[in-house]
Amino acid sequence: MMRFSGVCSAIVLVVFSTLAQAEQAGWALFDKVQSAVKQYNFDTSFVVLKGSNVDTYRWLHGRTDGQEIEHLIPLDTSGVDILRRDALVYYLLTDRPAFVTRSDSIPELPALFFEPKENISRLYNAVAGSSSVMSGRSAQLLRLTAKDASRYNYWLWLDDETGFPLRIDTLSEQQNALERWLVTHMQISNEMPENLRSLMAAELPAPGDSVTRTAVSSSHQLTWLPQGYTQVEEPANIPQLENSLLSYWLLSDGLHQVSVFVQQAQRLPTQAYRDGATTIYVQNANQLEVTVIGPVSIETARQLAAAVH
Amino acid sequence: MSSEHQDWLSAASDNKPLTKAQLDSLLRDTELQSTLERYHFIGATIRREARGPLSADFSAEVMAKIADEPAYQLKTDRDLLQRVKASVAAAANGRWLQPVAQGAIAAGVALMAVFGVQQYQQQPEDMLSPQPLLQTQPIAGFATPVSLSQTTVSDRFAEQEQQAMLEQQKRLQALLNAHRQQVRVMEQEQQANHKAEANTGPEQNEQQ
Repeated sequence: MMRFSGVCSAIVLVVFSTLAQAEQAGWALFDKVQSAVKQYNFDTSFVVLKGSNVDTYRWLHGRTDGQEIEHLIPLDTSGVDILRRDALVYYLLTDRPAFVTRSDSIPELPALFFEPKENISRLYNAVAGSSSVMSGRSAQLLRLTAKDASRYNYWLWLDDETGFPLRIDTLSEQQNALERWLVTHMQISNEMPENLRSLMAAELPAPGDSVTRTAVSSSHQLTWLPQGYTQVEEPANIPQLENSLLSYWLLSDGLHQVSVFVQQAQRLPTQAYRDGATTIYVQNANQLEVTVIGPVSIETARQLAAAVH
Repeated sequence: MSSEHQDWLSAASDNKPLTKAQLDSLLRDTELQSTLERYHFIGATIRREARGPLSADFSAEVMAKIADEPAYQLKTDRDLLQRVKASVAAAANGRWLQPVAQGAIAAGVALMAVFGVQQYQQQPEDMLSPQPLLQTQPIAGFATPVSLSQTTVSDRFAEQEQQAMLEQQKRLQALLNAHRQQVRVMEQEQQANHKAEANTGPEQNEQQ
């Protein structure tokens, strides 16, 4: 009997320690990815596949001793050039002056690369997967599995040699790929890419006054939040919707952001749409139209919409 | 006069249409009929057809042939029919046919069920296809309006529906843009705040 329980505990110990090791190895790979996109000078192209829709971008990053510069260029006709110099992000519009925000990463790039590891490890388990060949390079799979089943899972492939991310699949709870982020070309160099050098010195507008914010004084209440999410206090005004918007909440779990809009009811049925991993859920009930937009499952969006009173 | 006749008669022999007056005169005048017959015969000879055209009085020949045919008398055999009916009626009431009849009915019902179910299974798909609950790419492209020249009554309703859908899509696109804008302007300190809150979050949960 003693021997049997001894064997059992030994097995349990071995299993736990290997699991813990796998987890540690996973997070080590994750660190590699995050430092690669921050430290290297690189010039890459990537595509974002959403269903049958494909968006193509070029992404340049440069780093000198004290300064960092990053340029995201959409290669399709629609889209805005985005430039980041240290903690300022410039949206370079053709017909209007540049729009400037403060952030140390470009929000249009996958947030996985820039969120602190502690934040992500709160929401996800990281497990290293198998190796495969991708675009002629040896790639290592890293699976980020959500601790809460309602959150999307990520499969991330990184270059064995450099740790640079090659592909990210966003998977639904049913493990269907909703969105795919895929590097098609990558060049890492010691020197900063040439065209970034001139942008480094270019004169750019100063950031505008901080965005006007008003405390939400709405008659509606949001009585439920998905696991891990908190309300962002005092979200920015939305001038273009001021007339029609009754209430608005912005929720964030650090990695994902979800918007909840409340408007007057339009006599339309309750509907759900998907744009890649972004769910758009419209609920019409009690003279109100509640629209939930964000990278959450339809079920979560439905619960959120139902929690508006 | 005769040359005029010959003109249209010759044309008629080449399968040209006749006017009503010409047809009337042709039917009345036997001389014209025989001329037409001659023309057809000439045409057939020129075309080297093996047989000449039918003669004008071919109907008389056919009548004579029919008169020569022997007449057949058809008579229904009532006795046999009645005998078969009586035996079927007796068998239907008899023991041996009932299970067979029941079996036939059962087989019929089963067949109906099979085909009915197949049709029923085909239906829901058709019903669902016009308005899918979940469209994968509604935002990306807007439907182009239908051409006005093809408008029918039902099309007009479809157009209104499409209009409503377009408006809905525009509104959703505006909301989606607003959401993206919000994500963009989420400021550093807010993110920092959130992180701080998030870090204290689990502890609070544990206390609860």
